[in-house]
Amino acid sequence: MGIGRRDVLKLAAVPIFRLQAEVPGQAEALDAAVLAAIAEVVLPAEADRPSAVDAFVRWIREYKEGADTDHGYGNTRVRATGPSPARNYAPQIAALDSAARAKNAGAFAGAPLAVRRAILEAAIADAKIERLPARPTGGHIATDLMGHYFGSSSASDLCYGVAIGRDQCRGLPGSDKAPAPLRRRAAAPVAPVAPVAPDAPLAPDAPLAPDAPLAPDAPLAPLAP
Amino acid sequence: MMVYESDVCIIGGGISAAMLAQKLSELKPGLAITVVEAGVKIFDFDNRQKYRQRSLDYGENAWPEDFIDDQAGAGIISRTMAVGGSALHWGGVTNRFSAEDLTLKSRYGLAVDWPLTWEDLERHYCEAERRLGVSGEPGPLAEDTRSEPYPMPPMPLSYNLAVLKAWAEKSGIPFQGTPQAKNTQPYDGRSVCLRCNTCEICPTGARYSPDFTFKQLLAAKKITLHDQTLIRRLVASPDRKRIVAARGVSRARSGEEVEYRAPTFVVASGYAWSPHLLLLSDVANSSGAVGKYMTGHAFIGGQIELDATLYPGMNEQHSLISRKYFRCAADAPFVRHDLRVWESSAGRDPRLKDAAGRLLLGDALLTDWRDRTKRGAARVRAYYDVHPSADSTLTLDPSKKNRWGDPLPAIRHALDGPTQSRAAATRAHIRGVFDVLAKANNGRVLNVSEGNYLDHPAGGCRMGTDPATSVCDSYGRTHDHANLFVVGSPTLPTGGCTNATLTFVAVTLRSAPAVVKTI
Repeated sequence: MGIGRRDVLKLAAVPIFRLQAEVPGQAEALDAAVLAAIAEVVLPAEADRPSAVDAFVRWIREYKEGADTDHGYGNTRVRATGPSPARNYAPQIAALDSAARAKNAGAFAGAPLAVRRAILEAAIADAKIERLPARPTGGHIATDLMGHYFGSSSASDLCYGVAIGRDQCRGLPGSDKAPAPLRRRAAAPVAPVAPVAPDAPLAPDAPLAPDAPLAPDAPLAPLAP
Repeated sequence: MMVYESDVCIIGGGISAAMLAQKLSELKPGLAITVVEAGVKIFDFDNRQKYRQRSLDYGENAWPEDFIDDQAGAGIISRTMAVGGSALHWGGVTNRFSAEDLTLKSRYGLAVDWPLTWEDLERHYCEAERRLGVSGEPGPLAEDTRSEPYPMPPMPLSYNLAVLKAWAEKSGIPFQGTPQAKNTQPYDGRSVCLRCNTCEICPTGARYSPDFTFKQLLAAKKITLHDQTLIRRLVASPDRKRIVAARGVSRARSGEEVEYRAPTFVVASGYAWSPHLLLLSDVANSSGAVGKYMTGHAFIGGQIELDATLYPGMNEQHSLISRKYFRCAADAPFVRHDLRVWESSAGRDPRLKDAAGRLLLGDALLTDWRDRTKRGAARVRAYYDVHPSADSTLTLDPSKKNRWGDPLPAIRHALDGPTQSRAAATRAHIRGVFDVLAKANNGRVLNVSEGNYLDHPAGGCRMGTDPATSVCDSYGRTHDHANLFVVGSPTLPTGGCTNATLTFVAVTLRSAPAVVKTI
């Protein structure tokens, strides 16, 4: 499942993209303890949360501002990537800490799970975020982490319980068979989870809005891993 | 001004130029062939894996610098301008048209007939498939008989596609895997497909792109390639019977003027920039047909939910095709279209809020996602046959100019009267086919959407036998200038009802012997 934490730390020590290292407000905003505390709320227990956080941190570190985006078949305009989403994270994290202190829970990272959950729910509501972003946008660090993880090939595998490996080069042999079941990783100790009220039965899906004009033959760009 | 001389000067560096240059070099070894391309060479194959990953992770352009900032037009759907052209990005789908496309007028009284026979085109389809390296399986319909087998075995149907094929054929509509210019075995020095799911940037080279052909030709010293060189004008002789030079600028050398002289010139610059150059040069247009009859095919797509367990992401680039509706009885209402089916995750992606608007976090989100993936989904699409009017145009837009002061092209597609009058019936027919597919296995159509442009655009220099109504003959030789050819997509009179790249290549290959004869 992605690269290991040690690998990320090694990578972090090397300015792979010097430009990114010079963009203020990125690395310092990504406090590992805060991210782990967010991940415990917003990512599923079955996920490899440390790897998911590492992948997110790496994504942020290697983000390039002003890079040309894919303008492939079907696009007449060439666009560039915008400012790093991480530019927005420092005030968001500060707000999480403030909210935790207002509840007498100390810093956000050390707050009880139920408190963190309530704070994040409120923060996402305040940010008026309705959908998971396909890639981090800076809307909120919590939903950016969610979008990054749930859009990944490994999250897709976890959902389906099989090793699809969507973003990997897998070869043709065996592709006519259903993907193999996932190997369950060894269960890591999980902090007790505050009880959550059971969900009401799900309402049927709302009718989907008509698609935007379909891209021509090439398929849609894959989601960020 | 730098002046370059050769036996043949090919203007444009896309898939048609690559195929033509390759065949010319075989037909007449030693021929001095110069290929002039406005964009850059992107020959750094070793970086493809890195570009692919950046594209996946960040949506960055997988073909860096493959466009020219101020060389864009209105209504043009692809910005790519580089050695390899749009076929750097293409998905590699290599469907053939059908005999009906060449005989629309004589069979149905619609549009025009092409000035060549199906048997002739079919032979060149086979050649195109050999040169590109196409994997495919014979179709189930007798009308799709081939004179040669595919060069490579078909891409295996993924588990998902096999399930979808069984599902789709319950409707009584026969399907097959789509033929593709992707290697199912090592071919022409390129490796086998590794199912990376990112054909727009194939990191293995299993999907054909013209840069491979150009690199081979350069290594064998069979061509000279001048990239970053924008041809601005073709120059006619005083009697206007011949083209004597192509003049342009070297972008790599700060706009230094360059001139190419050759006995024969071939414009292979695609559907937009070929008619654009002819209009800028005021050549080949005694008919007034340059920049007219811009064509392509319209399309309707949809998503269908079905009772099946599918695993989206197994091979999203591969699809099923049915050619059942390529044919239409002459006494029936005219409707022709292809029918494609892909795996899809439509309506079952992870979501932040449930249908009641409640926030989903962590385990709740995963549970919701799993619940919604118990049924599968298919993406379906039909390209359908539409015919351009003379008002379907590429014109020079005096209000938009590049840095050299040349007006840029504006494309405005327009359909002829019969196409417009049958539009509602065509849409109803295709939606009905989607319904039939859905109902065949307790499915439901989730949504349907109609394209708002013509795909696989072509035309603008259409071929024909009458110099009063066409720009070139069936070999691409312009009626006005004996030594000026136009090849590939611009020459198509009509756009068919399926992916068109193989057809662009086939008609180009057919032109090669005629080009050689002029030298």
